[in-house]
Amino acid sequence: MSDPILHVSRLRKSFGALTATDDVDLTLHPGEIHALIGPNGAGKSTLIKQIVGELRQDAGQIRFEGQRIDRLDAAARARLGLARSFQVSSVIADFTVLQNVVLAVQGASGASFRFLRPVLKDPALTEPALFHIRQAGLSERTDTPAAALSHGERRKLEIAMALALRPRAFLLDEPMAGMGAEGARTLVALLSDLRTEAPILLVEHDMDAVFALADRVSVLVYGRIVATGTVDEIRADPEVRRSYLGGDDA
Amino acid sequence: MSRAGTVNAALLAVLIGGAIAAHLAGELFVVTLATKAAIFALAGVGLNFALGYGGLISFGHAAFFGLGGYVTGILASHAMSGEPLTTLPYTMNGTNEMLAIWPMAMLVCGLAALAIGALSLRTSGVYFIMVTLAFAQMIYWFAVGWPRYGGEDGLSFYVRNVFPGVNSMQPLTWFAICTGLLLLALVFTATVMRARFGLALQAARRNPQRTVAVGIRPFGIRLTAFVLSAMITGLAGSLYADLNRFVSPAMLNWHMSGEIMVFVILGGVGRLTGPVAGAMLFVAMEHLLGGVSEYWPALLGLVLLGIVLFAPGGIVGILTGGRRRV
Ligand SMILES: Nc1ncnc2c1ncn2[C@@H]1O[C@H](COP(=O)(O)OP(=O)(O)OP(=O)(O)O)[C@@H](O)[C@H]1O
Ligand SMILES: [Mg+2]
Repeated sequence: MSDPILHVSRLRKSFGALTATDDVDLTLHPGEIHALIGPNGAGKSTLIKQIVGELRQDAGQIRFEGQRIDRLDAAARARLGLARSFQVSSVIADFTVLQNVVLAVQGASGASFRFLRPVLKDPALTEPALFHIRQAGLSERTDTPAAALSHGERRKLEIAMALALRPRAFLLDEPMAGMGAEGARTLVALLSDLRTEAPILLVEHDMDAVFALADRVSVLVYGRIVATGTVDEIRADPEVRRSYLGGDDA
Repeated sequence: MSRAGTVNAALLAVLIGGAIAAHLAGELFVVTLATKAAIFALAGVGLNFALGYGGLISFGHAAFFGLGGYVTGILASHAMSGEPLTTLPYTMNGTNEMLAIWPMAMLVCGLAALAIGALSLRTSGVYFIMVTLAFAQMIYWFAVGWPRYGGEDGLSFYVRNVFPGVNSMQPLTWFAICTGLLLLALVFTATVMRARFGLALQAARRNPQRTVAVGIRPFGIRLTAFVLSAMITGLAGSLYADLNRFVSPAMLNWHMSGEIMVFVILGGVGRLTGPVAGAMLFVAMEHLLGGVSEYWPALLGLVLLGIVLFAPGGIVGILTGGRRRV
């Protein structure tokens, strides 16, 4: 296999007596969707937060495109091309869709200390922003305040913002959470297109989505990776079926 | 023009039209009141820059208002006495030129804000409020205890500083100078808030976590906003000193910080001309009610309470009737 873009090794994180990340090794390779599944409280979000720099690990390393990133702050990692979405959608509610995505384009450009030119009249910002809004299927809502978007639309806005970072890797924390069947289907299609932009580390509870999208699956239980493999291997793994898939033919 | 644009223009028209009408009617005292409102509005525009747009609840902006005032008073008094401010490392004389005093006042306030902001912006919420208050009170007590420039009694400089080509003692001319600076500050604020810097500042107020996730660090953005905000409020302090031809530690006191905050809250937090509306209402109430009863601030308190409870968008929010847009 090619060199991984993202390489997490021997990562540990405790909250008091609770070990939320227990010696985790994980890789993300170019072109793949790597799903991370596990029961509630397994430590999936905690792992994502350490990778993006929102939490500092207690031990272990994180390499991104060959470089150690585990001492950089979250803003620096975002600029290197680590784009994330949040488990609970996080956008700027009283900005319009366009302003939200323009903010992300601006963040990626690294130039925020400009005081004169209106952002909405700067094609270097608006053109990429409009492009990514279209990619995410939100063109009709360009000028709508984010607060007025439906839940599913807000998810798409997060994807548009992630795209605007010109990411080298996506880290998506339960992008389907709370979506209806119809919304989930459009999002699956969108994610499968995203893979061509950059590989995805996908935390997801929706097993249909995981099995439809993932090239590889890792199972996290009590902070430990208990299995990693292809979709078929994971489905067949007796331990996974017992500890997570509940024995039925999920 | 948008509804907000109409309200902005109307508020400024009331201020400017009122001053001109008073001038024509020979009511010079009313022109001076309008000038005071313009200066307070400018102080509020400064605070609004940090508080309204950046969410930085500074309870220490009197520090900048007062520093701007003291720089003005000190330079003017030295110009009058002919005694240099300092002879080391080179001789620095006082000046009575507004065009020299303003940049100096703004520079001093900017540097003070850089120091205060660099420390206070490491905290947030109530701690930020308290740290800014503490710094301002330190400067206040310093001014009280420094006899060289009047200490508690303050410092008078008798003659208003000069502006090239006009007579700054003439009330309407002086009003025009102050209002011109107010307009400049409004245009500056409106421009910056539509530009990249303003987008990042407002994003960091609404959702710092998201702002970081797109690669923008709030700290530097906020510190810059705090410095710019202090410079604007410091300029207002310089004008206020020139209005009264007097500076005293009262300009540095936390009461003053509270008053500047009141202008912003009355008029509308984060609304461009909110501080203009707030300062006009404040000065009008102080003048009309202050003559009737010394307890007029109680009524101001009621108005403030009403606004906070029922119209958090302030006067401008009531007039535009809409939600605040970025
Ligand atoms: N900041 C924190 N302080 C203390 N404990 C925490 C903190 N964040 C998470 N935890 C705990 O760590 C464990 C892992 O939480 P985490 O949010 O990573 O789980 P998750 O796998 O994302 O769960 P879910 O599927 O419900 O989102 C949980 O027991 C949680 O209560
Ligand atoms: Mg989670």
